[in-house]
Amino acid sequence: MKVGVLSFAHTHAAGYVHELSTLPGIEVLATDPDGVSSDPAQPRGRALAEQLGVAYADTYEDVFAWGPDAVIVTAENSRHRPLVELAARHGVDVLCEKPLATSQADGEAMVAACREAGVRLGVAYPVRFHRAYAAVKAAAASGALGEILLVTGANNGRLPAGARAWFVDPELAGGGALMDHTVHIADLVDDLLDGQPAVEVYAQANNLLYEGTVSVETAGLVTVRYANGVIVTIDCSWSQPLSHPRWGGVEVQVIGTGAVAEMDAFGQLVGGWDQRDKTAFALPWGSDLDHDLLSSFLLGTSPTGMTVADGEAGLRSLRVALGAMESARSGQAVRLD
Amino acid sequence: MVQADGRREVADLYVGLVGAGVMARTHHQAWRQLGVRIGVYSIDGGGWRLAEEDTGGRTEELGSLDELLARADVVDVCTPTDTHADIVVAAADASRPILCEKPLSLDVAETQRMLDAAAAAGVPLYPGHVVRYFPEYEVLVRQVKDGRIGPPAVLRFTRTGSYPTRSAWFSEPERSGGVLTDQMVHDFDMARLLAGEVVKVHAKELTRVVPPAEPGAVAAATVVLTHAGGAVTHVRGVWGPPGTAFRTGYRVAGPDGVLEHDSAATQAFTLQTGPSDEGVMPDVGLVESPYLGEIREMAEAFCGGPAPRVDGADGLAAVAIAEAARRSSATGEVVEVTR
Repeated sequence: MKVGVLSFAHTHAAGYVHELSTLPGIEVLATDPDGVSSDPAQPRGRALAEQLGVAYADTYEDVFAWGPDAVIVTAENSRHRPLVELAARHGVDVLCEKPLATSQADGEAMVAACREAGVRLGVAYPVRFHRAYAAVKAAAASGALGEILLVTGANNGRLPAGARAWFVDPELAGGGALMDHTVHIADLVDDLLDGQPAVEVYAQANNLLYEGTVSVETAGLVTVRYANGVIVTIDCSWSQPLSHPRWGGVEVQVIGTGAVAEMDAFGQLVGGWDQRDKTAFALPWGSDLDHDLLSSFLLGTSPTGMTVADGEAGLRSLRVALGAMESARSGQAVRLD
Repeated sequence: MVQADGRREVADLYVGLVGAGVMARTHHQAWRQLGVRIGVYSIDGGGWRLAEEDTGGRTEELGSLDELLARADVVDVCTPTDTHADIVVAAADASRPILCEKPLSLDVAETQRMLDAAAAAGVPLYPGHVVRYFPEYEVLVRQVKDGRIGPPAVLRFTRTGSYPTRSAWFSEPERSGGVLTDQMVHDFDMARLLAGEVVKVHAKELTRVVPPAEPGAVAAATVVLTHAGGAVTHVRGVWGPPGTAFRTGYRVAGPDGVLEHDSAATQAFTLQTGPSDEGVMPDVGLVESPYLGEIREMAEAFCGGPAPRVDGADGLAAVAIAEAARRSSATGEVVEVTR
């Protein structure tokens, strides 16, 4: 099977290239024609491909001329659409990095293009592949949770600036923390509630953490009401200190009439102290989320039986993030229906 | 007895304790440790139980509020929330210093009436915001005040326990305010203490309960507060199904760092047994009781010592946030908090 990787703009691209090398029978060709870097320690383009040990093509067209079975789009958020449409035109299945797009119009156009071309559009939400999430689903399915009333979650992380400055560019990223970190938990809820539409979003945001450093919001709280009455609040803040040894995490609590279920997707760690380096360390173990995501999309198998979020699901979680952006601007709750 | 600095001895106080329920018993234990004499009046006639428990013989049951107000040097109000105002006003009119359980009352107007009565009589009125006396929150407050993480930008508080079915009034919104007030007012107070006045509230409460609540009743609420300086706070409160353990947590982030706590992760002692009792109260067995710390500080203030860390104005502000949260949840609107 041939898989193309389109752009190294997203930091996840390197991780996907690595995971692809661990899957059986997969050839990879990457391209990063828009990649420029002034920092030799953070290469882009051919230099990064060489560092990752992956074959490289100069243009997107070269990748499609190679005849891939699937492509992975890891461009900047606002640049997903042309690449997804290109894949659709070539009749190639496409896995797109989250969030699907930075506008409703772009997202809808991408979903329509793939539907009309008869190609699969997947959105790269890895956390739904976690065994802890499978356990939450099982608790819901078994009836142990009872009726789900409230879901709260936190997807905190470090400010994603540094070598990938576009993450804090309002145009290229489509926003700050609200755009980046609302959607992961929104996707889990979307799956848990089986595609239940969000009908109202309220968000408050600020940039008190990085005032003067970046122009986008770096802290945000988002409350969502779903059509079936379930309420969800998400803390999407980039509130993990930059020097913190852990990047952040994804924590979700589900309050039902029968029980309270909690998952901590990045809490499976072996902690320790290194006397030679005089530093603390935390070594992750457990689910390999990117591996399971790619395996599911490309090979149709994953350990928990979870499937990749499709374009419609990606559109629903995008809608929550876009509603949050609008609500944070207006200060009022935003109706989505 | 009066000390050289003009202060009275706490142990010389006669405390009038109004109410004989769970909170009254908790306060009673703290007062006993301070060596005071205690007179208990409870409308349900249950004061004798506290008198009987006090094997030191320093507690007596009193037959009426008037008798209590005539005897007491200070008054401690541990009754259902909707009864606070009239008792506090009566105590103020009798010129008795007052400690009143949180929340002071259910709405701003009534709380203002209580504060006005205390001010007119020239007596202090202290709200029992006991979370300020829990050591893990004392550390948080001190670290934030010392600038450890810079000004808080985004704060998160959680408080989870089993639905309180021990008394019917908890499940009656017009008496307790429900989880959104009775439980979450603790974290509203803490959020305001750390991040400043609250100007905007958005709240959603979900309940599955028919008063009087039976085991199995559930209430959960989520509240987003916006502070005057722009900081944002998420408060989640849960009165969960039977067997839900009592648990609190916070995460407070500022430009220079983060402070985090999860009571489930910091247990110095656990004992694995079968299903736990109702988790409606925090386990304070591994620290000095925060209730004792609270009551000692307030008792010393009553006797001429320094003012405690929380006052009536704080109690009023917390009530204002809780009232706004209930209104937001009921109307679906974002509610501005006016001062």
